[in-house]
Amino acid sequence: MDIFRHSRYSSNVATAPLVGMIIALAAAVIPMGEKVAGWVICGFFAACIARLIFNRPGARLPSLPLKLLLFAGSVGGVAFNYGSAVGIEPGFSILVALVGLKLIEANGPRDFHVLGLLAFFLALCDLFFSQDLLRWLYVAIIVLLVLATLVRFHRGTSPGSYSRSTWLAMRLLLQALPIAVLLFLFFPRVYGGFRFQFSQSLMNIGGMSDRLSPGSMSSIALNSDVVFRADFPDGNIPPMSSMYWRGGVLWRGDELTWVLGPFFSRTEYQPAPMSGPKIRQRISLQPHGGRWLFALDRPMEMHGASYLPGGVLQSKRAILSRYRYEVTSLPEDRQTKLPSDQMRAALDLPAHLSPRVKALVASWKAESKNPAKIVEAALRYFRHERFTYTLQPGSYSDANALDEFLFERRQGFCEHYAAAFATLMRVAGVPSRVVIGYHAGEYNSLGKYVIVRQSDAHAWCEVWLQNVGWQRIDPTDVIAPDRISSNLESYLESHTSQSDATSGERSLAATGWREIQHDLQLAWDSLNYQWDLHILNFDEDAQMNFLMLLGLGSVSWASILIWVLIATALFVGGLSFFLRRSRSTVDKVGRGYAGFCHALARAGLPREPWEGAQHFAARAAAHFPEQAELIGRISQLYIELRYGRGEASAAHFLTAVRQLPRFSVKSGT
Amino acid sequence: MESAPTDRVWVWPNGRTLGLAAVLVAMCYAGASQSNGAAYLLCFILTSLAIVSLVHAWANLHGLGASVESIPPVFAGDDVSVPVVLTARKGGSHFGVLVSVSDGAPSAHEGAVVPESPSRLEVRFPSPARGHYRVIPLRITSDYPLGFFTARRRIKVAHEFYVYPTPHGDLPFPLTVAPTRQPRDGVRHEGDDFGGTRLWRPGESQRHIDWKAAARNPVLLTKQWTGETDEILYLDWATLPGLDTETRISQLARWVVTAERGFETYELRLPGKIVRASRGESHFHACLRALASFESPAAN
Repeated sequence: MDIFRHSRYSSNVATAPLVGMIIALAAAVIPMGEKVAGWVICGFFAACIARLIFNRPGARLPSLPLKLLLFAGSVGGVAFNYGSAVGIEPGFSILVALVGLKLIEANGPRDFHVLGLLAFFLALCDLFFSQDLLRWLYVAIIVLLVLATLVRFHRGTSPGSYSRSTWLAMRLLLQALPIAVLLFLFFPRVYGGFRFQFSQSLMNIGGMSDRLSPGSMSSIALNSDVVFRADFPDGNIPPMSSMYWRGGVLWRGDELTWVLGPFFSRTEYQPAPMSGPKIRQRISLQPHGGRWLFALDRPMEMHGASYLPGGVLQSKRAILSRYRYEVTSLPEDRQTKLPSDQMRAALDLPAHLSPRVKALVASWKAESKNPAKIVEAALRYFRHERFTYTLQPGSYSDANALDEFLFERRQGFCEHYAAAFATLMRVAGVPSRVVIGYHAGEYNSLGKYVIVRQSDAHAWCEVWLQNVGWQRIDPTDVIAPDRISSNLESYLESHTSQSDATSGERSLAATGWREIQHDLQLAWDSLNYQWDLHILNFDEDAQMNFLMLLGLGSVSWASILIWVLIATALFVGGLSFFLRRSRSTVDKVGRGYAGFCHALARAGLPREPWEGAQHFAARAAAHFPEQAELIGRISQLYIELRYGRGEASAAHFLTAVRQLPRFSVKSGT
Repeated sequence: MESAPTDRVWVWPNGRTLGLAAVLVAMCYAGASQSNGAAYLLCFILTSLAIVSLVHAWANLHGLGASVESIPPVFAGDDVSVPVVLTARKGGSHFGVLVSVSDGAPSAHEGAVVPESPSRLEVRFPSPARGHYRVIPLRITSDYPLGFFTARRRIKVAHEFYVYPTPHGDLPFPLTVAPTRQPRDGVRHEGDDFGGTRLWRPGESQRHIDWKAAARNPVLLTKQWTGETDEILYLDWATLPGLDTETRISQLARWVVTAERGFETYELRLPGKIVRASRGESHFHACLRALASFESPAAN
């Protein structure tokens, strides 16, 4: 077919820089894999390989009709794949497809630079998916590779190739750091008023949902993604076992499934002044797509967030990018008055209850009508009736889940216990609600902060006791007390290692190695947290605080920018002085030969403009036979130095020129 | 022949600078609209890199020495070929150096200029009008290291060269042959040796035309014998009245070329300048130089 005939153009880019650029582009595309159609990724890598094949001698680049066909095919394919060409996935797919097409057609210096700029742009896109230190270092390596490739490209055919180009690229990066730091600190951060926002977060989100059902917690229990990190600026760190990070409060339950519940009227609900010792926390929340703002039990109101009746904070918008906030909690505060609509909601019974459940609760109420005593009785029931705490409780049927759990299987994870306990309390007439959030976390002693992961997800229960207020009851604590005193990871570890205690010595060595590994992980996480805290979090407010610290709080942006410009100019001046090294050196060989010609010209034998060195030497040797040897030697050395492979020594040449006598002006030859 | 010490290196933005600026603006916008601190940092580092690369682009051409070796004379209309010698500064190398003569002219590319081994490259450019030139305006550019800026340097290298007038015109040779001895009519005499050929002039006997050579050559040559060669051919400005200067100069150049090819002894007579009768390469160039600089339209 006509379009598959190759075009007239053969490749115009040297292979070495092209390989570097292709590696950089491929490395930049890989992290976007999740949001790009699989066949587009395959096509992109095929384009990479195809471009390398085109670069072999004799090969031709694809013709224009073929390129147009590929373009139409890929855009149409993406639109067909997603049903639209607009949106995040189609957008990134088309971007990757276009980069692949540009790669195929790239030919010549201009295209090569376009590829470099595209690599920078793809690196930027990579940062939409994750901003942590690891990703940033990855992006920095891509940038370094692109720089080295550009340098390699501009070095042309000169020797030294990649190692020297990479070395220069590193030096460029190092020299760029001072200005980059300056810009980072002083370039005004602007936020707000931007219409362009991704409609969904590109970061890896998952975890807590707004409802609690069997399996909703255990499904993320092995997910070690960080949810948030918290530090305590006052150094007031509560014990791990009492770190209950409140997320959401669920008011409405049916069987083992609990959901958010009714919206309470704001008029009746007035948050009362809170009392007791305060714990200040600074929390760096990873984007989770929801609106929960986690805080220790029980947070005060916070600027910029709604305070819900359940005593939880909620962001006004979904958390789609990292969010850092400071919140104060008062663990000993007690709410003394429960508004009537909340009381109703906290006593609302599910439509269907089995007689067995009713009988069980009736047996507790027969012992004592005191709510506190009923709570104790319920906890006693969980403790003595062979309930097991397990990650694999199996699935419960929707219709009869509570009954099945309480009386038959008796296997569950925290969500089963919390949900069942809250329902039992309501049946007994004790107002109750389920709280979801996280429990404890891992304390990083290096960075003095707590890392909370998805695996720390937890659900517990709260009951309303007259004169006491909301009282936290954690049924899991009764079933698996060591789960509450430690985190899930170590709980599972200790419970599995009991079973294979036979492999004693080997597991001891393995434990040692695992500890080292763990320490390294903590150190890395600590570094990541510092990155998060000081680099990613350097926003408008942080910048203002920084300027205040420097005493520049009242200085206008214009004058700050002028100072930045002046500092940059000074730096550029200093750098150019440093790079200048030495002044222009003269062409000693050229000057020496010019002297030689001048001497002969004065002796009446000027070198004619069309004359080459060889021709002139022959003429001069014939003219001055007594100096023929010297003239021949000088010319030979000169020719060697200028046109040879550089084996001749410039010093020898200059010595020979100095040996040249003053030619006597001959008149009659 | 050394480059003037006052020339400066200027660094200019180019099309790629605009492309980079667009990417940087995108990064800054992403940083602001997505409150993405990492994007901000990337933007600042690349901005800073561009500034640093500007300084490196400047330093890359700084200290680069350029000189010109002898430029062979050319006829107007042909390309002038300038042998340029580039020398590196002490302890430094220069990369991606492009040399051209004046603006927009074709340029030669040289990968790297390293110390102790000067690089030699040929720059060709279409010849200007006939004349005697004394300065070569060289333009040296480089996109090294990153290509986001172009360093540019203009050097005026003092070096003379000639652009000879284009040989043109089909007027016959003037019949102003002034024999120094007894004229002979081109008839072969006994004992004379064959002495090569010379141009056949209208009116001469056709018996001695070298017909074999005529098959190869557009001009007719006549065989000559020793003793016949002392004739002088006067190529005189005054024999070409009624024509404008350039046509006359071109016609004289044509005659000089043809005469030299025909091993003639010839003399060029211009108003105010006479190149005495002689022959050979030196004489040939002397005549053409005289023609080139005669009432030269070239400014320098």
